[in-house]
Parts: sequence; C-alpha cells; structure tokens
Amino acid sequence: MSAAERIQALAPVSGRRRYTDTMMRGLLLAATIVALIPLVLVIYYLIKRGVGSWGGSFFTSDPNGNFFGNPGGIRSALLGSLEIVGLATLIAIPIGVGVALYLTEYGKQSLFANVVRYFVDVMTGVPSIVFGLFIFIVLVLAHVGGNFTAWKGSVALSLLMLPIVVRSAEVVLLLVPSELREAALALGAPRWRVVFRVVLPTALPGLVTGSLLAIARGMGETAPLLFTTAGAFGLTFSLSQQMNALPLQIYNDILSPRNVVVDRAWGAALALVTLVLILNVVARVASQRSRMA
Amino acid sequence: MKSRRISAVALVVTASLAVAACGSSSSSSGGGSPSGASSTSVSPATINGAGSTLAAPIYQQWASSLKSQGLTVNYNPVGSGAGVADLAGATVDFAGSDPALKPADTAKLKGPVIQLPVAFGAITVSYNLPGVKSGLKLDGPTVADIFLGKITSWDNLAIKALNPGISLPSTAITVVHRSDSSGTTSGFTTYLSDVSPTWKAQVGKGKDVKWPVGTGAAKNSGVAAAVKQTPGAVGYVEQAYALENNFTYAAVKNSAGTYVLPSIQNTSAAANGITVPPDLGISTINSPNAGAYPIVSQTFLDAYKDPCKDGGASQSVAKGIKSFLSYAIGAGQQTLGAGGNQLPYAPLPSSLQSKDNAALAGMTCNGATL
Amino acid sequence: MEAGASTVTGGRSLIEPSPAARLPDQVLRWGLLGLAGAILVLIAYFFIRLIGQSGTALDHFGLSFVFGNNWDVSRDIYHGAPLVVGTLITSAIALLIGVPVAVATAIYLTELCPRRLRQPLSMLVDLLAAVPSVVYGLWGVFVLAPKLVPAEKWFAKTFSFIPFIGGGASSVTPTNYFIAGLILAIMILPIVSAIAREVIATVPADNKEAALALGATRWEMIRMAVLPYARPGITGGAMLGLGRALGETIAVVVVIGDAPAIGHHLFNQGYTLASVIANEFGEATGIHRSALFAAGLVLFVLTLIVNIIARGFVARGHRARVPRR
Repeated sequence: MSAAERIQALAPVSGRRRYTDTMMRGLLLAATIVALIPLVLVIYYLIKRGVGSWGGSFFTSDPNGNFFGNPGGIRSALLGSLEIVGLATLIAIPIGVGVALYLTEYGKQSLFANVVRYFVDVMTGVPSIVFGLFIFIVLVLAHVGGNFTAWKGSVALSLLMLPIVVRSAEVVLLLVPSELREAALALGAPRWRVVFRVVLPTALPGLVTGSLLAIARGMGETAPLLFTTAGAFGLTFSLSQQMNALPLQIYNDILSPRNVVVDRAWGAALALVTLVLILNVVARVASQRSRMA
Repeated sequence: MKSRRISAVALVVTASLAVAACGSSSSSSGGGSPSGASSTSVSPATINGAGSTLAAPIYQQWASSLKSQGLTVNYNPVGSGAGVADLAGATVDFAGSDPALKPADTAKLKGPVIQLPVAFGAITVSYNLPGVKSGLKLDGPTVADIFLGKITSWDNLAIKALNPGISLPSTAITVVHRSDSSGTTSGFTTYLSDVSPTWKAQVGKGKDVKWPVGTGAAKNSGVAAAVKQTPGAVGYVEQAYALENNFTYAAVKNSAGTYVLPSIQNTSAAANGITVPPDLGISTINSPNAGAYPIVSQTFLDAYKDPCKDGGASQSVAKGIKSFLSYAIGAGQQTLGAGGNQLPYAPLPSSLQSKDNAALAGMTCNGATL
Repeated sequence: MEAGASTVTGGRSLIEPSPAARLPDQVLRWGLLGLAGAILVLIAYFFIRLIGQSGTALDHFGLSFVFGNNWDVSRDIYHGAPLVVGTLITSAIALLIGVPVAVATAIYLTELCPRRLRQPLSMLVDLLAAVPSVVYGLWGVFVLAPKLVPAEKWFAKTFSFIPFIGGGASSVTPTNYFIAGLILAIMILPIVSAIAREVIATVPADNKEAALALGATRWEMIRMAVLPYARPGITGGAMLGLGRALGETIAVVVVIGDAPAIGHHLFNQGYTLASVIANEFGEATGIHRSALFAAGLVLFVLTLIVNIIARGFVARGHRARVPRR
C-alpha cells in the first residue's frame, strides 16, 4: 500500500466527499471523451464522403476541368503540395535550426535573445492569411521573378513553418546535456566543431520530429497559397509557374456545381488529412522513442 | 471497399467512353455558327487568368480542350472584381468579368483593354417550397420586395395575386444572399435596381451590397446549399447550379410583360436586340427582347490590347492569349447551349461574334500585329 | 609536453586556439546571430509594410475604424466595429468552451488516466491539431451547422429572456457566432491541453502527497495542490490558444456567415477581422485594400498584446515554481 492509501485507510472519507470525488473523476473522463469526439466525427465523415472517390485514376490523373464525364483525379494537387511544401521545408528548417542554435548556444538569456524568442512566438499567432498577403504585396505585385508562382507560395509557407521549427528545435537543443559540450570543448575542439559534430547529431532525432510537425502544418494551410500560388489544374514541376496544391484543389472543388467534383473535394480532403495525420503520428512516435533512448 | 472501388472504376470507364463518344459527334444549337477567324491551330504557351465564378466551368472546360493542343490555360475563379484587379496589377494574362468595365476600372488598368462578351448565364430566383413546383410567377417589384424584407411569407397577397392557381403555404420566407463579392450579385442587384425604385434608393447595385434582410452564404454553392437546406428559402443562383441540383425556380416577368423561365433559349434571346456600345460593354439585364428571361448576366473576357507592352507578356504568351480568345469566340462557342453535352450557358449571337472578332483582330505585341 | 610559451606552437599557449582556427567559429557565431537578427528585421519590415498599407484607411477613418459600426463596401465606408466585436465574441466563446475541456482533459491524462493509456490518448488529443483548418471549416459548415440548428433553436427559444444568448427561434441561422466559436474551441483545444499537461506534470510530488497525507480525496488533491500551482502556466496556455483563435481564418470564414453587422444574438451571423480579409482582399483596391490591411494590423497588434500577457503569466508561474536557492 502506498502512503496515500495507508492514510486513506486510517481516516474514512465522508460520503459526500467520496461522492464529489467520484463525480469529478467521471466528469474529467467525460471531458476527455468529449474532446476526442470531434476528431472521430471529422475522420468518420471524411471517410464516408471521401473514400468513394478513391478509386481508379484518382491518384494518377490530374483534374481536367471537364464539365461532363470524369473530372479527373488529384495527382497534380498531391505532387504540387509535396513540391511546394518541400521547398518551404528547405527554406524553413536550416534557418529555423540556425536561429534555435543561436538562442541556445550564444544568445541564451540575453535581452536580444529574449526579444527574438518573443517575436518568434508572436509569429505563431499571426493569421496565416496575413503571411500570404505580405508575400503578395512584396513579391507578387512587385513582379519579382514572375507573377503567381509556386516558389512564392513556398516562401509564404516557410514564414508559417519557421516559428514551429525554431520553438521545437530550441527545446530539443536545450536537452542536449551540457556535459557533452563541455567534454568536447575540453578536448580542444573549436566551437563550430562542437556544434556540428556533437550538438546537432545528438539532437537530430528531436529536430526531425519538430520538422515533421512543421511540414504537417505547412501541408494543411490554404490561406498563404491563395494569393501567392493561385493554383492550376495541369501537372507542372516548374516552381516558377502557378502550381496546384491539395488545399487549393479542395477549396475550389467544393464550390463546383457538379456533385462529382464536390465528391472529389472530399476525397482530396481525406487524402490531405491522411497525409498530415501520418506525418504527425510518425513524428510523435519518433519523439517518444528518442526520449526513451 | 473493394466493390466500391470496382464500381468507381466502372463509372470512370463508362464516363470516359461516353465523353469519347459525345466528343466525336458534332453538335450545334443556339447561337450562330462559328464565323470569321476561328483558327484551328493554337499557339502553344501557358497563360493565366482569373475572375468570374459564373464563367469558371466554361473556361475550365475550354482549358481542358485546348490542353491537348499545347495551350495550357490556368483559370482561378476568384470573382469578377478580383480578376480585374489582377489584370490591373498585370499578375494575370486575362480576366473574366461579369459586369462590363467601368471608367473607374479602366483607369486602374495599365493600358487599353479588349473586352469580349463570350457567353450568357441566367440568374435564377430559386426557392425551396415543398409542394410548389418550378415556375412560380413573380414580377420584378415582388422579387425586390421579397429581398427588401417587405414580403415575409409565401402566402403574401402580392405573390398570391400573381399565382392564382397555386395554393401557397404560409411558410416564412428566408432570403439567402451572397456574403462575398460577386458578379452574380452585381447582375441581380442591377435587375432589382431597374425594376424597383425603392431598391435603387435603399440598396443600390454592385458586386457587394448591404442586404436589408436575409442570411449570407459564400459563393453560388453556398447559396445553393442554404436554399436546399431551408424550407421557405429563396435565393439567386446561377443557372448551372440550379440545373445541376434540380432546383425549383421562378418564372420572372420580363420587360415585355411575359413570364419567362430561365431556359437556355430564353437566355439566348436576351442577347438579341440590345444596344452594343463601342467598347462592347453590353448588359443583358432586363433585355427588351420579347422572349428574353429578364435576369441574364453577360460575361466578358478582358485582356490588354497590347499584352507585351502593358501586361509584361512575352511574344509567345501574347500569341497564346490571342489563341485562347479566338477559340473562346469561335470554336469554343459550340460547347455552349442546351444540348445534352453542352454547358448550360447561352452562346453569342452571330452579330456579336463578328464584333468580337473585329475587336480581337486589334491585339498587338509591342505595336506589331499578332 | 610543456605548457606555456613554446616554439612549437609559435609562442601561444597550447590550449588557446590559433587565429586561423577561430575564423570558422566567428563565422558561425556571427552567421547565426545574423539569422536571428534577420527574423527581427523581417518582422519589423512586415510591421512597417503593414502600417504603410493601412495608412490611408486609418488616416481617413481614424478611431471610427475600430469603434464605428458600419462596414459598407459599396459606399466605401469602413468602420470596423462589427469585425472587432465578431472577433472578440468568437474568441470568447472559443475560450469559454475550449479551455475548461482542455484543462479537464489535461488533468485526466496526467493524474487519473491508467498509465498504459496515457501516451495513446495524449497523442489522440494532440492529433486534433493535425486536421487542416479548411477541413474543420468544411466539416463545420456541411455537417455540424445543419445538425445543430434544431438544438440552437430550442436553446434560443427556451432562454429567450436572456439578452444576447436568447432571442427566439427566428434569430437562429445555420452559420453563426456560436458555431464559429465552437469550431475555434476544437482548434485551440490541443494547444491549451498540451501546455496544461506539461504544467501539471511539473507540480512537485511533495505538494500532491502532502494533500493526500492530509486525507484528501483524489479530486480534492487536484483542487488543492495541482490547480493553484498550475494556474499561471495554464492561463499562459489559454492566452496562446486565444492568440490562435483570434487569427484563424479559413475555418471561420465558412461558418460565421460573413455578415458585416454586429449580430444581436449568439446564433446570428457575424464577421471577424481575419474572415473579412480572406473574403474581400481579392478585389479590393484603393481605400478598401488599405482598410483590409488596417484590419490585419489591428489583428497583429492584438496578437502582440495577448502574447505579452501570456509570457507574463508563464514567467510568473515559472518564478513561483523555481525556488531561489
């Protein structure tokens, strides 16, 4: 028997208190179930409405804009999403990890570092559409390298992903034991060697986890792409053209007068959620593993 | 799950066969036969456009047809006003707009613009009244009063007077309107301003107005969904949506005094006999033609007269724009009409087609004719 | 091997790195500093651009941009009180519904949940954040909104004597403040719950065992030892959730009805600052566009303020937790 149980055995609790205790425990359990209900309902509805579209050439054909007959699948949207988010990742991760490295290795608790931390937190709260508008004004209207292009969408998304990468990387880098750093420094290794040969490799699993979470967020965002990439139907790999993406395809399809196209929107939504959920689960399982190791 | 997959594949195969069969047979109805410069060869390029959602199904279908010939057309249905704004910023090569360009719009554009009417779509007054079939008769002032909130139930005397043979329930009227900026709203409110001085004074016309009553829904599909879900609802919905979803819609009294249903034929009639200004900025709302449905919206394709100079386009892109516009007023017209495999929009009458061709011939690239 | 001055190392101490070896270090240090500084420059530029673009509207309308009640696009009048009020109402509903459920979930998962279920259930709650906002919006408007209408009508009718909440069945529209707030609550739940879980997990076992030693029941222990200790941190988490709720765009724009007026009842349509930008930006020009940027600016400033408050709460909780030695 634990100490608590021994003590409870000594002083019997009154009926009313026991009643309150049971009630509250039930309530807390109920709250947890209530919290999970929307997740279940959303996924259930997506499967119900979306999986019907998942047959045949859904993943291997592009949306074609035909008014009659087969409206096509979501191939260009899927590949476009992967490409745009891929570029955004290439931008956000190095910069994000770099800033986190600065905060943990050099800045620490200095005023400058704290100001940077504060503004990174603020960036998380900025509505995603405002990032899209910012890039629209700065890059699209100014005709920098074309008009609506896929890479500008990537830049807008990277602004969104950056604070997530910075925050999660900082947490992970702080967890690297200082003994490791100090041992390396004591052996005469220069600072940069310590960072690249000791700190980063140790933190790598956690950095990967944080990156996966940022990628998952980037894949699901619509608003930053609306005014930067503008969407397309056909498949293109060129980042300097308008490109399709899953959220854009969903947003446009859901407005169509054709019911089969609306169904495609739900199928695409199911594909998007599946992709994002897989990324999230992989990230979290990986982080559990690396923490336990 | 497997049987679903098989039936999905079967559906796709059948549909593809059907499209292939339909595509091979030529069909023509309504409008005029393609005349003048409709080139069968198309300049390969990638061009981008944005604008009207009313016309989006048309342009997306045309894009699909042109893709095999090497011309890639990307069209972003962001709304008429946004499309024109994009053209003004030269971030797109062409814009789709339901309302004609006003002086305020042309002032913001970088140079002279070619404005081509390409199709017409009816705006239906769709309602959800269980037991009352399609074809309820309504006249302009009554519609205006409904949307003004003066008529609040379906058994109101004004509606009853127009429909003596129908027993109307006492359901409350729920007005549904667009919450976003829209060319469809522009067309509808232009009509209401024409037929009701009270509406003109109180609300006015425009892509985005302050609605006196009713609930808002985003886009045509939102209004369509809201009307479907609410018994007693009435909303203005584009023809394509109303036909696809089997809505019940009203027969509206036109300027000649006849109650007309929004069929393709009656939509085409609206384009006949209207005055065509020199910049081709027509309006088919409240058309004087006797057989015309009164709430017909025209839709334009707008592009710079010199896309190279004003729109920053390359020679090949400019050629591509001209090819697309040429197709739009030429071979593309055959895809519109009342036929089984035609898009439910009214094509151009031949008089307008020749005017369009003449205007398009004036497109240049840095001064040189294309 | 002697330390100190030596010809081998050119007069330097062995443990001091050569100037050549210092260069990569300096490059790294200043490079990373530059990156961090670049973030600040980016935000500053962003802020400046935002202010620059909103200037016209703010000059023209002044304070009535925030306090005036008339957002009329066709007449180019942009008094944004309906937007601000709508943003505040939906965020308040999101907090009122989301925070208690999130905290209750956090308490259950850290204190009461069977150990084996803890990880999987926590992961499930976190997965709520993985659903894209456009999917929440679509599900909200196609599935949730129509299904809730009868319940909302009953509620409005039964409680029609309460101002704002009541209003009779006729005040109910499928898209309204309530459902927008509800969707937002679902979206902020994972954030608030995750932070609450972290905070509750750091409550020292001593405090908890002391309460139990005094004969408290489980719930009483939570009430006496856990909640007071965790309160600053949880409040900080709630503020971060608020920040997310203020700025959420796509999910809200489809379920709130986009009516540019202050709805008088909970189940009326409304508008928020973020939604108006999404809806109207595409074709806004001139003073309209400037007004939308001003709306974005107001939102940004609100986010800044909320974040300062949140940090204050979290820092206060941190100071209380870490005793000075």
